Amino acid sequence: MNELVRAGDQVILVYFLVLNSFYALLLILSIPEIWEQTRLAADDDFQRLMQSDALPPITLLVPAYNESATIQASVTAILTLEYRNFEVIVVNDGSKDDTMERLRAAFDLYEVPRTYPDTIATRPLRAVYRSRSRTRLVVLDKENGGKADSLNAAINASRFPLVIAVDADTLIEPDALLRLTRPFLLGRHIAAVGGTVRVANSCTVEHGRVTDARVPRRFLPGVQVVEYLRAFLFGRLGWNRLGGNLIISGAFGLFRKDDVLAIGGYRTASVVEDLDLVVRLHRYLLRRKVRYEMPFIPDPVAWTEVPESGRVLARQRERWHRGLLAAMWTYKGMLFNPRYGRVGLIAVPFYTLGEALAPLVEVLGYVITAVGLALGMVDVSFALLFMLVAWGYGMLLSLWAVVLEEVSFRRYRRIGDLTRLLLYATLENFGYRQRTVWWRLKAFFTVWRQQHVWGEMTRTGFQSAGKQVPEPATARRTDAQG
Amino acid sequence: MTSRGVLAIVALAQGALLVALIVLIVLNRWFRLRHRARVHPRVVAVNAAMQRWALGSVDLGTVLVHLSRLPVPLAVDALVSWSARVPGDRWRQLAAALRGHWWARIVRSNCASARWWKRLEAARFLAVAATSEDTPRVLTLLRDPHPAVHIAAVATLERLESAALTTAALERLPRLAPTVGAYYAGMLRRSRPVVVQLLLKMLRRAGDPALPRLVEFAGRLKEPALRERLTALTGHPDPEVRVQAARALGSYPHRESLAALRVLRSDQAWAVRAQAIRSLGMIADPTTLPLVRNALRDAEWWVRLRAALALTRFGATGQDALLQDEVGADPAARDMARLVLGLSPQALAEYAA
Repeated sequence: MNELVRAGDQVILVYFLVLNSFYALLLILSIPEIWEQTRLAADDDFQRLMQSDALPPITLLVPAYNESATIQASVTAILTLEYRNFEVIVVNDGSKDDTMERLRAAFDLYEVPRTYPDTIATRPLRAVYRSRSRTRLVVLDKENGGKADSLNAAINASRFPLVIAVDADTLIEPDALLRLTRPFLLGRHIAAVGGTVRVANSCTVEHGRVTDARVPRRFLPGVQVVEYLRAFLFGRLGWNRLGGNLIISGAFGLFRKDDVLAIGGYRTASVVEDLDLVVRLHRYLLRRKVRYEMPFIPDPVAWTEVPESGRVLARQRERWHRGLLAAMWTYKGMLFNPRYGRVGLIAVPFYTLGEALAPLVEVLGYVITAVGLALGMVDVSFALLFMLVAWGYGMLLSLWAVVLEEVSFRRYRRIGDLTRLLLYATLENFGYRQRTVWWRLKAFFTVWRQQHVWGEMTRTGFQSAGKQVPEPATARRTDAQG
Repeated sequence: MTSRGVLAIVALAQGALLVALIVLIVLNRWFRLRHRARVHPRVVAVNAAMQRWALGSVDLGTVLVHLSRLPVPLAVDALVSWSARVPGDRWRQLAAALRGHWWARIVRSNCASARWWKRLEAARFLAVAATSEDTPRVLTLLRDPHPAVHIAAVATLERLESAALTTAALERLPRLAPTVGAYYAGMLRRSRPVVVQLLLKMLRRAGDPALPRLVEFAGRLKEPALRERLTALTGHPDPEVRVQAARALGSYPHRESLAALRVLRSDQAWAVRAQAIRSLGMIADPTTLPLVRNALRDAEWWVRLRAALALTRFGATGQDALLQDEVGADPAARDMARLVLGLSPQALAEYAA
């Protein structure tokens, strides 16, 4: 028993060291990346270029299921984005409420014949509509088939070479599309680009736009602001330099349509269709030895509402982790496979061993420490010191994300917001982190039996000019992977 | 040293780092506020001096003094923003005066910097303040591997006429992404006489892989001197060249253009047929209406779409043809005519773009 506990201790110690060294590497790599990106974002000539007529046209894919309460405002906000040439394809995925009727009335829709082939097989289409008042708008009415199926139907109908999937409840900043196209202007083969997703809870929203960014006072949404900053500002920026971004947020990612069509579009069997799509894109392009990039750029921003209750958050995190486990299992052939270059040798191993298995190892660590303490095999002061170091490291990473935000984009201008960010970055490790470990651990038990079950996301609605929107909406959704 | 000792040291280092990060955040805020408080009045002073100088109420020396008080990046920003507002002659005086100024010399020397953002600063400066002596520097920047740098440098063509710069930009044009290429094309249009002569030579390089992009650019120029060469390229073996030639000829209403487009309308490649029909619609010669109408029965959806859109440009006769096909026997032509007749004018314009 003594030997077993000691061996377990050593394995966990090595795991801890390797994983945290890797995080330190990401942290270091994020510095030159954010430096370069903030410089490019501020370059006037690039801004001028990005407002030229010759920008690549974009199709926005907007799946909607039971979005009656918010669909009109969301689509109106999307239609007013600052971009010269784009179309919006809203897919009513067999909603049970009056989403379709709301769309028909709000945008003066009229039926047009369907004149494009079914490049990707989807659930049957009932009708195709165009709008008399908004010529950029196309609405597809189809039988219910899930979010991935809706996105595939929209891709079939899209006319343009770049597509972006947008959740109906996501608020995209007016210039975000312009900024997202920046990598496509640089003449390289860009397969996809991801932008930043930020937390909209407590922010003031006017006409579908976030006009005043705030950090929520409530702990749960507040601590998620820090999580999102950490995930986007140093995690993904660091991965840019390693060439293996595996996550382009489903709520805000721009893809080259040819590549998406070549891999058969979104996989309807996947729980996290965005992660699945990106991994398959990597696999497809690497197998064909295409020199491509899938960068993340931090300045295009979309805002999303995060769960405010522990119950909903638990379901979301369990689902995300279930999706990660399923994806890593499905594409296990890429693990340590030199054929897939840095993706196979660094990214997939990191996401499999460092992310997917992390909750298991962490819980094992707690159990072994508890057993060791109970049996007198582990020194109490040593265990406490180790825990202090582990938590301190977590705090360092979170604070680093706050530093990156402060030196680059500084969306949260008030001292009060900054103080709250620092507070949440500190408190995150005491209780909240352990809860997320537990939620993610549950995914190991659910992954094999309920791959296709979506959690319900209860939304309270955005604060509109300081007032709470009265109608709460319940709908399926995906959020940015943390 | 025991493992406990190591952990204690790590914990202490972490504690120090945590405190350092918090101090860094606080200091960053404080520095920004202080910097803004110090620099903002100087920016205001530069703007005021520029405005007065543009109106002729102060001399150039005052502007230079105020500019030199600003940090270099902000001085370059001020120059870029004022360059569009000050008349050309006066601006050339400023550019000449900046040639010997100490901070302008530093910015110019950044052309060869190893850091791309320094080169970008130099390119932005030269784009508004270059003189003929800066041609070699701008040439270096035009060949820069960083897109932001050469995109900034090409804007120099707006102010500085130079055959060497125009040639360098035109040589680079075919290798650029479409949007960047379009931006370059916009800049090159200003040096039209030099560009046309160069293009006429370059369009004769039949085996050049850059030919499609050059033909595309030639089409945008709408220069009569290029028509004959473009018409000749409609027989090129590369379909991409024929696509671009077919598209370009839409801007050249001439009987030889029509004859070439008539041939391309039966091309094996559907993309060539689609562009030929589009161009026939742009020229809208009544004798080609039956040809365009016939394309509504093409096997390829995109060609049928282009044909239906082209018919809308033929006025009442085109509209009649569409209405007849909307109830005609051919299902493909019927669907397409119905789709296009159902589009609003704005949607038609978007489709036709």
